[in-house]
Amino acid sequence: MSGVAVGIAFAAGFHATYAKTSTNEYCMSCHVHTDADASWKQSVHVSNRSGTVTDCAACHLPPESMPGRRFAAKTRLGVKDMMAYMFKDSEKIDWEAKGELEHARKIVFNESCVSCHANLYPEGVSDEAVVAHLYYEEYEKKYKLQCISCHLDAGHYNPDYRHESMKTVPVAAGPVYETRGELTSFADFTETIPGTTAAIKMIAIPGGSFIMGSPAGEPLRKADEGPQRTVELSPFFMAEVETTWDQFWAFYRETMSEGRTAPETVYANNSRDDIDAVSGPTPPFGAPDQGWGMGARPAITMTHYAAQTFCQWLSLKTGRKYRLPTEAEWEYAARGGTSYPYFFEGNPKKFSSEGLLKGIFKADTAGMARNVIYAANSGNKTHEPARVAANPFGLKNMLGNVMEYCSDWYSEDAYAALQEGAVNPSGPQSGTEHVVRGGSYASDAADVRCAARSHTEHDAWLRTDPQNPKSIWWYSDVKGIGFRVVCEVPQEIIEQ
Amino acid sequence: MKKLSRREFFGCSAAIGGAAIVATTPVLSSCSGKEKGARLIPLQQPGEYYIPELADKAVEGRELKAGLIGCGGRGTGAIDNLLEAADGIKITACADTFKDKTDEFLKKMQDKGQALTAENCFVGFDAYKKVIDSGVDMVVVATPPVFRPYHFQYAVQKGVHCFLEKPIAVDAKGYRIIMATAKQAQAKGLAVVTGTQRHHQRPYVAAFEKIQQGYIGEITGGNVYWNQGMLWYKERQKGWSDMEWNIRDWVNWKWLSGDHIVEQHVHNIDVFLWMAGGIHPVKATGVGSRQRRITGDQYDNFSIDFEFENGIHMHSFCRQIDGCSSNVSEYVQGTKGSWNSVEHAIKDLQGNIIWQFDEEAAKAEFLQHDPYTLEHVDWVNHIRKGEMLDEATQCGMSTLAGIMGREAAYTGRTVTWDEMSAMDQDYLPGDADSLKIGPLDLSKYTVPVPGEARK
Repeated sequence: MSGVAVGIAFAAGFHATYAKTSTNEYCMSCHVHTDADASWKQSVHVSNRSGTVTDCAACHLPPESMPGRRFAAKTRLGVKDMMAYMFKDSEKIDWEAKGELEHARKIVFNESCVSCHANLYPEGVSDEAVVAHLYYEEYEKKYKLQCISCHLDAGHYNPDYRHESMKTVPVAAGPVYETRGELTSFADFTETIPGTTAAIKMIAIPGGSFIMGSPAGEPLRKADEGPQRTVELSPFFMAEVETTWDQFWAFYRETMSEGRTAPETVYANNSRDDIDAVSGPTPPFGAPDQGWGMGARPAITMTHYAAQTFCQWLSLKTGRKYRLPTEAEWEYAARGGTSYPYFFEGNPKKFSSEGLLKGIFKADTAGMARNVIYAANSGNKTHEPARVAANPFGLKNMLGNVMEYCSDWYSEDAYAALQEGAVNPSGPQSGTEHVVRGGSYASDAADVRCAARSHTEHDAWLRTDPQNPKSIWWYSDVKGIGFRVVCEVPQEIIEQ
Repeated sequence: MKKLSRREFFGCSAAIGGAAIVATTPVLSSCSGKEKGARLIPLQQPGEYYIPELADKAVEGRELKAGLIGCGGRGTGAIDNLLEAADGIKITACADTFKDKTDEFLKKMQDKGQALTAENCFVGFDAYKKVIDSGVDMVVVATPPVFRPYHFQYAVQKGVHCFLEKPIAVDAKGYRIIMATAKQAQAKGLAVVTGTQRHHQRPYVAAFEKIQQGYIGEITGGNVYWNQGMLWYKERQKGWSDMEWNIRDWVNWKWLSGDHIVEQHVHNIDVFLWMAGGIHPVKATGVGSRQRRITGDQYDNFSIDFEFENGIHMHSFCRQIDGCSSNVSEYVQGTKGSWNSVEHAIKDLQGNIIWQFDEEAAKAEFLQHDPYTLEHVDWVNHIRKGEMLDEATQCGMSTLAGIMGREAAYTGRTVTWDEMSAMDQDYLPGDADSLKIGPLDLSKYTVPVPGEARK
């Protein structure tokens, strides 16, 4: 009998504790994140006409209708939070990064969203929302779509998060250039884009040969980086930095195509020989800079086609031949004459945060941090080029900050197919994804090595784009992607 | 495909595996012992699909006030079916674009002893609102289908039960309104029936149940047909504006009817999607043309290849030309056999009939066999029992499949479901609430020509 009483008392106590530890006050007693509390209070989940307040636990735990999952999640997150409370300094936690989709996915439960929002088509729903929600229902499982894929600011207000197409085009201050940049010899020059306020510093990259790929013994190397091949390249000019927002918006302002021209029509127009004006991007959805800032920060989230079209536009504006670098040109430029894993000395394993013991022993960023923006020092966002030192060629951010498009199609065994001593190789004849190089602000040290290769993931990078046809200009599900341009050396300069 | 995983999960083997510890024998016996001892793997489990009760007459209950929006032949016929299906129905309001239509309907109703009065007969493009706001419980919507989404939307907003004649949209925008409104109707517990009356036709319903039980195995393809002679048409009369002519001749105009693949053939496309367990095509490629139609801007024949997610194909074929072979039927092929609606029979792969609808038995058991009446029985039963019924979602998907076939033929391109569902396409010539009887830009209404000319 007493056993039963103890059992009941325990159960009652347990229930009281369970309930008490799910209140907002309890959550906030450990979660010393003033900004998150404030942004929650400003969000539609608190500040709304109906007066409904949605508590922390309503989104950050599975719904009460799934007690097993809720208890498991509560235990897991509770232990994690307690450890953080005891051993971490709240002020040193990057709360902003925790609000990014990549992290939010792990702490917001979609079942909880839909347990309250049972009807995705309430009365008065807009046609755009119906399109998006029909798409969500069709592809929720296939693409692992979550409500917060599109409604990231529902629980925590973010003034930079826009659930609409961009309306105004930022214009860089400064004089409008009337002529293209002066180029009289094979030396660094500044390209000025006529009719805009944008300029691009171009570095003269001398021709030469180098060993492309990584040796078999390079730490953290992947198989697609070999076999190594000696490659010979002609001289070219390469932009000192990744294409900036100021430069990209100059292009956008002149070529922006409002409305939805069918992709076929855009491709057909832009590929005409007698073209005098290209059709450029449609307005991006949301804030394409992710709220990180524009200006000299690298432009991001444009598609490979958009990057190519930028080059086409720049060529038309300047009368010079601009294009994306080939993969060989890119790696040659990134190495700047060196043959270490990076363009400076150092062991990738030392800089990496991956591996068994790295949870305890932090990555050693000394020597890396002033050269490369990567996971260990980026704060999960891009940075202006001024933050890093240039490589021996004078180029910045070749490694890290944003992944850069190359003109080559990606193939895992591209180097095996390459002739030893190949001159100006341009990759496989055909393919489905393009090469991207250099890694990004979110990459581990392993992926920002000079030889590290990666590629576009076209479908995955568009999975939450509900438009049909999907945008040919902007990716919806990748952030750290950008590009830099190369300029071919004009004939008259070669002849000098 | 969604269905596959569910089938695998609920399949007999899984059931046996799960239940073996508890009791093996009863489970085994429930899975075997069907025709020739062959084990049937259900496409869907009972309870996962809807089988209507096909009672002869609706249950007795509270008196219901009904209105009619669109007093043409089908609307008037639907009201006859409703009155046949249930007692205690009062027809209290009606609407049409033209007064001669409401006058005709008023007279018919008065002849039947209905209390409908001239004050409650509303005329004009906004007359539907007056019917819905007149205090009706239920409304039959049978205007040309381009208006259906807007009428449905308003009725659901006001909490009125709907009978929507098929098709229920003619364009992508209308489809989206239907899908959203269907969800709102569900939330309000409304009963919505859609005029795809094969869902209430005894032999179809019986076959549907057999197919879901696994009698023809996994669906591997199908053919659906609506080939018949030319429909009616109206030459333009003196004094008719463009709008009046178009509406009076609506089955020949794209913007009003959606073309005959949507307006009529949706029935057969719908049967395949329904029988296959509520799936929808992912791609369509097809041809169509206009050979002998007299008025309007529509085609009079379509032949469409629909492709589904798991690679199966369904061929849809419709024609409205006099003097050609007729065929209005559906055929579904499965891994174990096939079903067709000509014989209302299921055959094994050798062509032997292994099941056939027993018409004599049905006649002995029931008095009412008219599917047009039975769908109203089901509708009224749901209303009187306070139960939700949503046929709009399924009919909406079938309608979009029809639209998809049409667009494939009009353009000559392979079109996708995603493209159709998100497409910026609105066939209404102006805002739904601002339409007037008057001039239209008829130069926009041309017969589509696929592809492009050789340059």
